Amino acid sequence: MQNHNKNGKGLQPCTWVWLIMMLLTLVTYFSDTLGLSNLAISLGVLLLALIKGHLVGAYFMELRYVRGFWRWPITIWLLLPGILISVAFYLTSLQNPG
Amino acid sequence: MPPRANSAVADALPEEPPTRYPPGDLAIWIFILAELAIFGIAFVAYAFARMYNVELFNEYQQHLDRRSALANTLVLITSSYFVVRAVHAIRKDNSHLCVRWLLAAMAMGALFLLIKGAEFAHHFALGINLSTNTFYMFYLFLAIFHFMHVIMAMIILAAVALKARRGGYSAREHTGVETGASYWHMVDLVWLILFPLVYVMH
Repeated sequence: MQNHNKNGKGLQPCTWVWLIMMLLTLVTYFSDTLGLSNLAISLGVLLLALIKGHLVGAYFMELRYVRGFWRWPITIWLLLPGILISVAFYLTSLQNPG
Repeated sequence: MPPRANSAVADALPEEPPTRYPPGDLAIWIFILAELAIFGIAFVAYAFARMYNVELFNEYQQHLDRRSALANTLVLITSSYFVVRAVHAIRKDNSHLCVRWLLAAMAMGALFLLIKGAEFAHHFALGINLSTNTFYMFYLFLAIFHFMHVIMAMIILAAVALKARRGGYSAREHTGVETGASYWHMVDLVWLILFPLVYVMH
């Protein structure tokens, strides 16, 4: 994987991805302080987790260079449980308003 | 299993050419998908079990140490980054640097186990176990199962580092390094979902 900038200067893409994931993790931890509803926080931090998962798959596991079948299992693994967990939390919020 | 494109050549290119297969041995990817399926089912089961026990889950979730979980998330993400650097190093034929990155990743793994182990010790000292309640059943199952995977991944990385130290990998042939790296990233990937689901979402 060519992971340097073309001119060889600046941070490598994998270093950017690492920093972004660290930042998103801190946002997740402090999400309670944003003043949002429990459902909004839950779905928001889940979305952040799915984004981080995508970054791991695409940049760390290097699936962005893969074409065909093997490009998709990680994405599907993130989306399928992600959607089902979101549905479960949404239904729970309907049953327990406030 | 199909090796990746000749990495010595690939490194000279502006972009990695598209390939049909992910890095490392294809067998590890089949294993990774099987592991991910188990964790995925457990995550969904947790979310729906919570639906029927929402007060219980919300109450006992407060007893978990979120600060330790945050530290562990940062530690695992950093370890994954170190593993990426190890793969880059071997692709440049630098075994010595590869080993150093792998050792750094393993040190992060050990730190994860230490923090998580302290958390488990705290729970067990309070008499908490799998049968305490539904929340702890899910929490302990997921956390201990993941803990075991971190140990397994560290053993794999240790074997890879040992072989790399003996000059067993090169820019031309480093499938073993990529295989170990892929497994380590899977362990990281699982924790990235486990952390918000069990510790944060309520």
